[in-house]
Amino acid sequence: MAPVDIADSVPYSERPEWSDLTPVAQYENIQPLAPIFYNPDYKDATDYFRGVVKTGELSPRVLDLTETIIRLNPAHYSAWQYRYQTLIATKSSLADELILTNELTRIYLKTYQVWHHRRLLLTLLNDPLPELPFIEEILKVDVKNYHTWSYRQWLLAHYNREDMWVQELPLVERLLEEDVRNNSAWHHRFFVVFERGGADGEDTVRQELAFVKEKIALAPNNLSAWNYLRGILDHKHLPYSTQADFTKLYVVSSIALNEESVVDLENPRPSKGAQLPSAAAIEFLADVYEAEGESGLSKAVELWRSLADEHDTIRKKYWEYRIREATVAAPD
Amino acid sequence: MSRPAHLPPLNKSGHVAHCNRCLAGLPASLVEMDSSRMAIAYYCLGTLDLTGLIDQKITVTDRDSWREWIWEQQAGGLYGTGFRPSPVTGTENRNQNIPAEYTDYSTPHLIMTYCALLSLAILRDDFARLDRPGLLKFIRSCQDIDGSFSTTPGASDGDLRLTYCAFAISSLLQDWSGINVDNAFAYVKNCRTYEGGYGQTPFGEAIGGPTYCALASLHLAPPGAPVPFSSTERKQTERWLLHTQDATGGFSGRTNKLADACYCFWCSAALDIIGGKSLINTAAMAAFLADCQYKFGGISKAPGEHPDPYHTYLSSAALAIAGLDTEDASWGLQPLDTLINSTVPTLQWAKGHLAAHV
Ligand SMILES: [Zn+2]
Repeated sequence: MAPVDIADSVPYSERPEWSDLTPVAQYENIQPLAPIFYNPDYKDATDYFRGVVKTGELSPRVLDLTETIIRLNPAHYSAWQYRYQTLIATKSSLADELILTNELTRIYLKTYQVWHHRRLLLTLLNDPLPELPFIEEILKVDVKNYHTWSYRQWLLAHYNREDMWVQELPLVERLLEEDVRNNSAWHHRFFVVFERGGADGEDTVRQELAFVKEKIALAPNNLSAWNYLRGILDHKHLPYSTQADFTKLYVVSSIALNEESVVDLENPRPSKGAQLPSAAAIEFLADVYEAEGESGLSKAVELWRSLADEHDTIRKKYWEYRIREATVAAPD
Repeated sequence: MSRPAHLPPLNKSGHVAHCNRCLAGLPASLVEMDSSRMAIAYYCLGTLDLTGLIDQKITVTDRDSWREWIWEQQAGGLYGTGFRPSPVTGTENRNQNIPAEYTDYSTPHLIMTYCALLSLAILRDDFARLDRPGLLKFIRSCQDIDGSFSTTPGASDGDLRLTYCAFAISSLLQDWSGINVDNAFAYVKNCRTYEGGYGQTPFGEAIGGPTYCALASLHLAPPGAPVPFSSTERKQTERWLLHTQDATGGFSGRTNKLADACYCFWCSAALDIIGGKSLINTAAMAAFLADCQYKFGGISKAPGEHPDPYHTYLSSAALAIAGLDTEDASWGLQPLDTLINSTVPTLQWAKGHLAAHV
C-alpha cells in the first residue's frame, strides 16, 4: 500500500468513494475536560472512523482510513484494533502490512500501539528471524528505547529458538563496544545468559565473571557492570568474598598501584587513566567485609564512612544508615 | 532531615495556571493525547489538589461540568463497566446517569478508569452513578491467564502499570473479587530483575515507574496475599532505588540514564513504600525539581525543557511525599497517600464513597 501523503490528501468528506458513509461527529459536552483543538484533517478522518465503527464495515478502504488516523495520532488504539480486525477480515497481505509497520515503527518508536501491532502481526506471520536484524537497526535510532528492547525480549522468549539466541551475545558485545555504560545491553546479557536460552553452568559463570571484570577494568565507575557482577554472584549464590582480591584493586587511588606486578588474568587491573577509587568498588568491598561478621565490621564501617564523607556524598544518609544497621546488628 | 540551602520558591500558582490552561484546552500538536485525555485531566486536577488551591482556582460551574464530562465517559457492555479516555472512540452518551453502551472498539480502558475515579474524588463527586458490579466485572475481564492485566479486555498488552491500576481500584472499592491475587503476584514476581528493580513486563530492564507499580500493588493487596519479597530482596530493591539518584539530585529511572523529574516520584515513592524514605537526599531532589520549573509555570522533565501536566503532577507528588523542612511556605503541599497516589483528604473522600456499602 502506498503511504498516504497527508498534506495533499483530499478530506474524506469530499471523496466520492466515501459518499455512501455517514460520518459521526465527536460528541462533547458543553464544557469538556482538556479538549484538543483538532486539525481539520484529524477531525475529518475520525468522523469517518466513528461512522465505520458504527456500521461495522471491514473493507480495504478502512485500511486506508485507519492508516491516515494512525499517521496523525499513532496512539489511537481503537484505530489500530480496528485496522487489525480489518486486515484479518479482508485477508490482506500480512507481509505488506509488516513493511508498512517497519516504517511506522521507525517513526513512532515511543508509541506502545505500534509495537503491540507488530507483535500481533508476528504472531500470525510466525517468521521471527528477520526481526532480529530489523530491531538492531532500530536500536541505532535510540539504543536504550525501552519498547524496542521489550519487543526483542518478548520475541526471544516467545519463540525460544536456538538460531535466535545465538545472535544475542554478539549484539550485546557490539553495543557495549560502543558504550560500556549501556545498561539495556547489560540487562539483555543477563536475560540471555542466566534467565533464558542457555546452560549457565560453571564454565558460563567463569566466562561471565571474566567478561564483566574486563569491562570494569575499562571503566571502574560503571554501575551497570558492577550490578551485573552482583547479579551473577546472587544468581549463583556465590559469596562476594570470591571477588575481594579483584575489588581491592579498585578501592585505592591509581597512584598506589604497582605497575610492575604480575598480570593476573582473574583479576584485571584498572586501565590506564581510570578514575579511582571507584565508589562502586568501595561499596562492594564493604559488603564483603560486612558478610565476614565481627572481624570485618570496622573495615566495612571505614569504607562506608569514606563513601558518606567523600566518594558518594549524595547518598550520605544511606551509607550512614548502613553503618548504623551493621553496628546495631553486631554482637558486643 | 536535611534542610535545603538556597532553594528558590515553588511556583505553585504558576503550576496551577499551567494545569488550568491544559484543562481548558490543548493545542492540535498534542493530538497523541487524544487517547489518554482522562490521564491529562487527572494530572491537572491532581496538581490543583496537591497545592491546596483547588477551591480558589476552579469555579463551582467548572467543577460540575467536568464531573458530567467524566461520567459521560463511563461505558458498559459485554465485559463490564469502566471509563474511556475521551469521546474519541465512543458513541455519544447524552445521559450521564447510565453508562453508555460500547462496541468492541470503544471499550473502557483500565488506566483511564483509575484516572477517572481519582479525578471524580478530587472533584468530590458522590459516586452515586458508578456501576460497581460492572466495574468489578470489567477488572476481571482485563486479567489474563499469566496474571497480568490488559488495557482493554482481550488486548493482551498487559504490563505492571495495569496491574497497579487493577489493585488501586480494588483497594478503593474494598472489593477484591475482580482480581486473582495469586496470579497477579506471580506476574509481578516475573517482572523482577537481578538489579533489584522491576521491568515493565517479564524479562524487561529494571525501571522506576514499573518498580513503583510493582511495590504499590504488592502492598495494596488484601490480607492473606502471598509475602511480597524476602528481606534480602527488600534490601536489594532499596539499594537499586537509592542508586538511581545522581549527582544532579534528580532520579534517573534506570542505571546510567539521565535524571528525569518523573522518576523523582516513581523512585522516591517506591522507597517510601518499602520504608526507605528517610534515606533519600530530599534536599538535592528538591533543588533538582526547583530547576525543572518553567518560568511561566509547570514543571518539565529536566531543566530547560518544556513543561507538561505529567511531570508537573509527579514532581509535586514527589515533593509532597518528601515533606521538605523549609521555612519557605511555598513548598508546603497537601499530604499524599503514596500507595494510591492521591492526597490524603481525597483518598478519604474516595474510600468513604466507593467502599462497599452494606
Ligand atoms: Zn519523565
